[in-house]
Amino acid sequence: MKNFKKYLLMPAILLAVVSCSNDDENPVANSVALKFNNTFDNTTIILGDAASTTASVKTSGAGQVHRFSELKYVISNIRLVKTDGTEVPYNVNNLDKGAVIVDQSKEASLNYVMSNIPVGEYAKIKFGLGVKQVLNALDQVKFPSFYAAAGANDTEMMWEWGTGYRFTKLEGFYGADNKQMSIHTGSTVEGNKGDATSYVQGVDAYRDITLELTAKAIVGKNPPKITIKADFNKLLSGTTAITLSTGTSGSSNATPNIHTALQMVKFVDNLGGNGTTDVKGMFSILAVEN
Amino acid sequence: MKKIICFLSCIVFCLSCSDTDDYEAIFLENETIALEIPVGFPALNNAFYTNRPTKLGVELGKKLFSDKRFSANNTIACSSCHIQANAFADNNAKAIGIFARIGLRNTPPIQNMAFLNFYNWDGSKLQLEKQSIVPIITHEEMNSSIIEVIDKINVDKAYRDLFKKTFGDENITPERIYKSIAQFEYTLISANSKYDRVKRKENESFSVSEARGYQVFQEKCNSCHSTELFTDQSFRNIGFPLNTDSNEGGRGRVTGIEKDYMSFRVPTLRNIEVTAPYGSFGQFATLRQLLDYLDNGVILTDNLDPIFKENGNRIPLNEQEKIDLISFMKTLTDTHFLGGD
Repeated sequence: MKNFKKYLLMPAILLAVVSCSNDDENPVANSVALKFNNTFDNTTIILGDAASTTASVKTSGAGQVHRFSELKYVISNIRLVKTDGTEVPYNVNNLDKGAVIVDQSKEASLNYVMSNIPVGEYAKIKFGLGVKQVLNALDQVKFPSFYAAAGANDTEMMWEWGTGYRFTKLEGFYGADNKQMSIHTGSTVEGNKGDATSYVQGVDAYRDITLELTAKAIVGKNPPKITIKADFNKLLSGTTAITLSTGTSGSSNATPNIHTALQMVKFVDNLGGNGTTDVKGMFSILAVEN
Repeated sequence: MKKIICFLSCIVFCLSCSDTDDYEAIFLENETIALEIPVGFPALNNAFYTNRPTKLGVELGKKLFSDKRFSANNTIACSSCHIQANAFADNNAKAIGIFARIGLRNTPPIQNMAFLNFYNWDGSKLQLEKQSIVPIITHEEMNSSIIEVIDKINVDKAYRDLFKKTFGDENITPERIYKSIAQFEYTLISANSKYDRVKRKENESFSVSEARGYQVFQEKCNSCHSTELFTDQSFRNIGFPLNTDSNEGGRGRVTGIEKDYMSFRVPTLRNIEVTAPYGSFGQFATLRQLLDYLDNGVILTDNLDPIFKENGNRIPLNEQEKIDLISFMKTLTDTHFLGGD
């Protein structure tokens, strides 16, 4: 009797397998997972306050020890580029469906799954650090989910006075005496910075990143996973070596008055590149798993 | 034949519209207001031309302006800080919002806004229509969101009627709110002070002290406090005591330009008598204190305004000049604008 049941089940299982096999072997699309690994060099960052004994501590090129208690940034405008050069945009004009706030304190935010990516072989990934200007308007009606996520009390990724999103928010401590470090970036630009006729004022802190994948990401019956490293050692020891200083002068940069003068842009360029000679900033590809 | 077809189609059109005749009639009633532009005032902000004040739009904007439901706990309206008797500013050093939270800066007056090209102390906003969202969402001001506001006022039939009359249907949208408030603000024009009447030769004249003060003003003040707005709308660091709040950078936080650090828009002097204290975060309790400070010398920084740098970092003023200047500045008070007689 026992055996008989098995025999009965067998065809059912077979049928199930067979009926699915068409879809599995020739899918038109699949998902692609992005994994963000936020590091100091090659070590994943552990957050912690001034008293923490477990927090990752790094010494900058200028000799300043520093640590993070909060580490957040916005990734949007994601595009995958096929080996033949075709660009596949992923909800690039929809912050609710195509943007993520990477938050080191929230494991789930470090894994971003893009659904329905056309099958094919992909050689590059492009994405924005921050929000491109046309979408950077705190529009609660258009993008209620992203607005709510950015405005949440434990996230605070809005720049109310500039009616735009914060692109990065880094809180922490520096120096032997653990002085407060608070570095926020975001755009204030009005008009198109590249176009003199519409450009009015402000800073464009959005940075477009382009990374060559270390191996082809093959979207087929398996969903590939791309691990992206964001090396925050670059913050102070990137293209421009930055020494933090606390105070209220125009050159003080460890507190949010880095919004002033050119201080913020130095951080932005270190993290996201300058958009021309450096289109990687702190980002690199750690692994591509198919 | 063509004419007949045209005529017929007109009839059809009219008939098909007849259901909404009432609303059409009301909507047509909502005419644009002819704003009287005071003589000598500069050109209007371009945004004005795409949002001309209408009778009902202004009425609606005024109602929204004084609605406390704009704040998360229904305690703070625009008019809570922008008080008419104070030229739509208030007398606090820094603005006080929801839960008595203290803001970054001094509440700016709202007057002659239609003629400005920059809003807020740092000029971060270039159109009034884009300004009003800022206090709604700011933690220290109203701490709300536009959808929260819409959800609250949407239950109010009076509002739905007003939106319908003003815009043609009942939909309360963010854009309509921003436009209405801006329209109301565009109508807040102050140009009927004693100074204006003297200028227009309307049977008024300055007292001896006021006349002397006007002289001093022309010699020592009006390179920045110029035009009939009494501001040239430039951004300058004039070495006032610094706001040490780490969020403050003045104009620099908008432009990212080093020379704009701790620079602020030159404020108008109109109705200055009723907008104490003075300075971007209310550094000076009285006009006299402010003039004494300018006379004694301001903080020297790299980007201190050239006019100060070239004059020993100060505006020298003797006792009599200070008294006369204050007399003159008081002639810029527009009692009617402030809601008086």
